[in-house]
Amino acid sequence: MPLEDLIPQLTDTAYSLKDVEKAFLSRGGTAVKALDGVTFEGPEGMITCIVGPTGSGKTTVLRIVSGLERADRGTATINGKDPATLVRKIGYLTQRHTLFPWMRVCENIALPLEVKGVPPEDARSQVAGICARLGLAGSGDLYPHELSGGMQQRAALGRLLASESWYWLMDEPFTALDERTRHQLQHLLIDLVRERKLSVLFVTHSIDEAVYLADRVVVLSAGPGRVAESFDNLLARPRNRLSQEYGQVMERIRTRIESVLGEEE
Amino acid sequence: MPSFPARGNDRFMTDRNDQRGTWADRPVGKILLGSAFPALLVVAWWLGIRSGTAVIPSFSAVIGVLAHPLEIPPDLYSRSLAFSLMMTLIRLALGFGLGVATAVPLGFLAGKSRVVDRLFYPLVQIARPINPVVLLPLVTVLFGLSSLASVAFGPVDAWKYDVADQVQLAMVFILWWGAFFPVFLSTVHGVRSVRTSYLETMRLLGATDVQILRRVVLPHSLPEIAHGMRIAMGMCWLVLIAAEIFPGTRSGIGYMLCTACKTSDYQYTFAAMIVIGITGLLIDVAFARFERNAGHWQALER
Repeated sequence: MPLEDLIPQLTDTAYSLKDVEKAFLSRGGTAVKALDGVTFEGPEGMITCIVGPTGSGKTTVLRIVSGLERADRGTATINGKDPATLVRKIGYLTQRHTLFPWMRVCENIALPLEVKGVPPEDARSQVAGICARLGLAGSGDLYPHELSGGMQQRAALGRLLASESWYWLMDEPFTALDERTRHQLQHLLIDLVRERKLSVLFVTHSIDEAVYLADRVVVLSAGPGRVAESFDNLLARPRNRLSQEYGQVMERIRTRIESVLGEEE
Repeated sequence: MPSFPARGNDRFMTDRNDQRGTWADRPVGKILLGSAFPALLVVAWWLGIRSGTAVIPSFSAVIGVLAHPLEIPPDLYSRSLAFSLMMTLIRLALGFGLGVATAVPLGFLAGKSRVVDRLFYPLVQIARPINPVVLLPLVTVLFGLSSLASVAFGPVDAWKYDVADQVQLAMVFILWWGAFFPVFLSTVHGVRSVRTSYLETMRLLGATDVQILRRVVLPHSLPEIAHGMRIAMGMCWLVLIAAEIFPGTRSGIGYMLCTACKTSDYQYTFAAMIVIGITGLLIDVAFARFERNAGHWQALER
């Protein structure tokens, strides 16, 4: 294995958040702060995992980075640019309601190509390639609800691949899956990131998932979210969940989360 | 979208994978259950005949009418049963079609744009509860006897175009009224209830408004639009029969029913009622199927 695969080279910055603040209006009309000055960077071509307790604003961070929502204060940029200007470069994947249930799996995967105006013939061969790569061959003509949860998320990854987006924002995409399937998809994601030079911002509440996937870990405090800690996870890949070092990184994050929860009480 | 007749078992369909259903879902069970109340009606009819009243025609007289749909009734100022039904269906198709053709695009606009919605909302809510039949006297005065033929070929020559001259604009208008509101409101609601995350997905893919409309908004709201169309069709069917009874008509199944009553040819009244009932049932079955097909994908959402 080449050296650079063993020691991640955290060089260029893909995601950059500076003092991002965001508040929402509650039904009563009072402003509830979700993010309180979030600052961190996510390296290019790597996986940055955001972990934090419930209500720490993890999803809000992703939505602001995607350009779907605006920060009240502070800036969020991708590669130095305003995310709203990066049409088709951003892929967004959530836990549920990702695929369009009225389209067959192959139509779902082909959708980004259709939107771009790729001729149907070319699109079909590209989709076939993506299906083969993701282990979806033979499922193309099914509807999403006819697939298992794991296969559904594979198809959703397929749509991201077809979109040729480089910046993937992922909001607990594997949380609802059983452990075995989750591990398979985590492995698949790591391979895709290496193959395609993707920059991933990955939200999870699972410490194990963060340690397994992340090149950089960002720990958010309990709400309103602030960055409690941010560090590079230099464990060599493939990572061994049973190794002592793996346990140490898990313990580091767990202690941090416990301490921010302790502060609140 | 709830579907009627329901499918699955009787326990509020907790198991959506239970496709086997009970005996009530099998063809024999469906026919037995579905014909139970019509059979009661036949019994009531039979009791009526037994009572000796002149108003209730015999089975054979009514079956005789139904068996010869092309025959022109001898003592009755009416066309044949089949022609009457055809006229009714032509009016229905035109009025209902216009209603849908205007309600769906306007519904999309109002669902998408707050300006259009606020423009239409008060008007729609004022006009919607007005039963179209109530409008008929006024509309008849307004449109007079103008028909498709009188608009197309001029009032002098209109009588030469038999069918087109009997599609009165007054009727088309009230059918439009009956169809427009249910379809408009269900379209607006369907468009509004499109899941935000689906729209966001399309935005991030760089889709145009037209692409979003065609690939997401339309398929997502189609089950609801179909449901609105089914309600509207039921409304139109009711309204049309009532309108055909109204003076100023010379044809249609409702006209036949009414005219036969006036001359005491009750076998035609009964035959017309049976045709109205069965046609209404067939129309609803067709729309129920359309509604179910439009929502086939909703299994995932439950």
